[in-house]
Amino acid sequence: MNPDEAEFLGEKQFISIIPTFNSGVVHLISGDVGPFRASLPTRVPLWMAINLKQQQKCKIQHPEWMNVDQLERIKEDEKKDKFFTKMPSEQYMIEAKLLLGCASDDVPKADDIRTIIKDIWDIRMAKLRSSVNNVLKSADSYAEFKNLTVMEINSIRPILPHALDQIYRMKINKHQGAQSTTLSTPFRTSTSFSNLS
Amino acid sequence: MALHPSYAPNFYSIEDILATQERIPCKFLGNVPDMGHLNPSTLEKDLAAGTVLELPVWLVQELSLGRHSIVATELPKIYKESYREILKADACAVDLHKFNLYFYELGKHIKHFDRKGDVHDILLHTFKTRFRQIMDLADHSVSDPTVQERLETLEARLFSDAYDARTKLNAWLVESGAILEAANMVVNHKKRKRMNLDIIM
Amino acid sequence: MYGEKGFALIKELSRCKETLPPYNTDLVNAVSNEIKQLLEQIKDAQSTSDNESALVTAGSKISTITIAHAGIKRNLRCLLSYHYNRIKCLRTMRWEFGSILPADIKVNLSAEEIEWFSKYSQMLASYMRSIGDEGVNLAIDMKPPKALYIEVRCLVDYGRFELTDGSVLLLKKDSRHYLPRSECEELIRQGVFQHIV
Repeated sequence: MNPDEAEFLGEKQFISIIPTFNSGVVHLISGDVGPFRASLPTRVPLWMAINLKQQQKCKIQHPEWMNVDQLERIKEDEKKDKFFTKMPSEQYMIEAKLLLGCASDDVPKADDIRTIIKDIWDIRMAKLRSSVNNVLKSADSYAEFKNLTVMEINSIRPILPHALDQIYRMKINKHQGAQSTTLSTPFRTSTSFSNLS
Repeated sequence: MALHPSYAPNFYSIEDILATQERIPCKFLGNVPDMGHLNPSTLEKDLAAGTVLELPVWLVQELSLGRHSIVATELPKIYKESYREILKADACAVDLHKFNLYFYELGKHIKHFDRKGDVHDILLHTFKTRFRQIMDLADHSVSDPTVQERLETLEARLFSDAYDARTKLNAWLVESGAILEAANMVVNHKKRKRMNLDIIM
Repeated sequence: MYGEKGFALIKELSRCKETLPPYNTDLVNAVSNEIKQLLEQIKDAQSTSDNESALVTAGSKISTITIAHAGIKRNLRCLLSYHYNRIKCLRTMRWEFGSILPADIKVNLSAEEIEWFSKYSQMLASYMRSIGDEGVNLAIDMKPPKALYIEVRCLVDYGRFELTDGSVLLLKKDSRHYLPRSECEELIRQGVFQHIV
């Protein structure tokens, strides 16, 4: 999956906005949104919030976790803990990127928050890389990763499944006799994970 | 060819066809009538028992099937003990590309002729040991550019998949909004055209 | 050794990344001839072993047949893989270049491949027309859309370009346009426009 596609999925997340206009309910396939009353908070999908913000038709109420204190705490936990800590949002990176990108005036201390989130991301990515390597080295029949978020899982998408697949292929039919492996086993087409994922 | 040649077992796999063309030393156990021409060093009509030839894997697989094995096989030298020792000592330092372009694929076919399972073990060991290097390479965190040239076919593919994903993710982290781009084939087609023009002029 | 020519076909394909080499009629015929010749050899071996009473020689004829048979299977695999993978590439080209292929690509195709391509294009077009009431163009929105209108720069002297509302634009090299995304996405993919962010 492309990061753009992961972002698209993340944009379904609801978020509070304070509109500066009045409008009735909007009927969408995914559900109804609105009605909009100026200066009365209402919840809309992230993509709509961003769109309205770009047209200066609303203020975005940043998610509760997006504050320096809480993020600092998460960062400390993440440093100390060998495992992944639970993030306040499944899409923290996507929300942070979109909100800090176009609505940084609605988020207090936006620059500090940007730095801390980047730190957390870097710590987690480094952890992820060494975990992947360990999984492969030990290559038990299964491994468990907890508390990973969408974008993080996506970042190891082609390489981890692909590599495990290869190990599986090397291990399988160790004890089979000489056989024509190309013809006796059922077809398995395409391993192109970049297309599948 | 814009395609991912998938690996075996897949009848159409280009990569597997290439890998199964590699040759293994074989000794014929009996006479084979009318096949003398397979041995370039003789003009005899029949192929005599005891002849030693290097045969492609696809043929060896058919000839050593079941009880009616026509040939006795030997391991290619890159899977023999002396080479295995090199890999065990430091797999990362090895130029696997030079060992054989299809070290793993060929190995997977070969291991059926290896009763002791040494080939199986060395394949796994080599792959696991070298994996970190491939991953680091894809994350642009390896300073030695020659490492990439030392990758085997399978490793090179793993690397390029991981590298693409990494590049896209990095672009996403800095870029705003999904930029529409020309299709891959179109870009390459233009590049080639420009190159051809340069050659003419 | 048998199968060398079939292997040469596959080798030729594998050398070309992202493009198709000229269809190799001579080599394809040569491989077909080798298959025929191997078939003859099997028939010969069978008929002679029928005549000979000595079971010993009959036994070893089996080796001859096994080798010839393996050669046929190998050649068939190469032939089929050659054609299959070319068609697979051609299919991708329909999505990348659109329904009209550049002339220098078209010259590399066999007559059958050209026919396959046009039939595939027709089928795809009628399938797209059949979806919903007015049809859906599956070749657009390859990436999640962010805005209805986008700014583009024209990279070539394209000439007249008619929009769906009937208005006509004259596309000159380096001219800039602000257009509905759906109208220009295909031209971006074909390298006529460049998307400006």
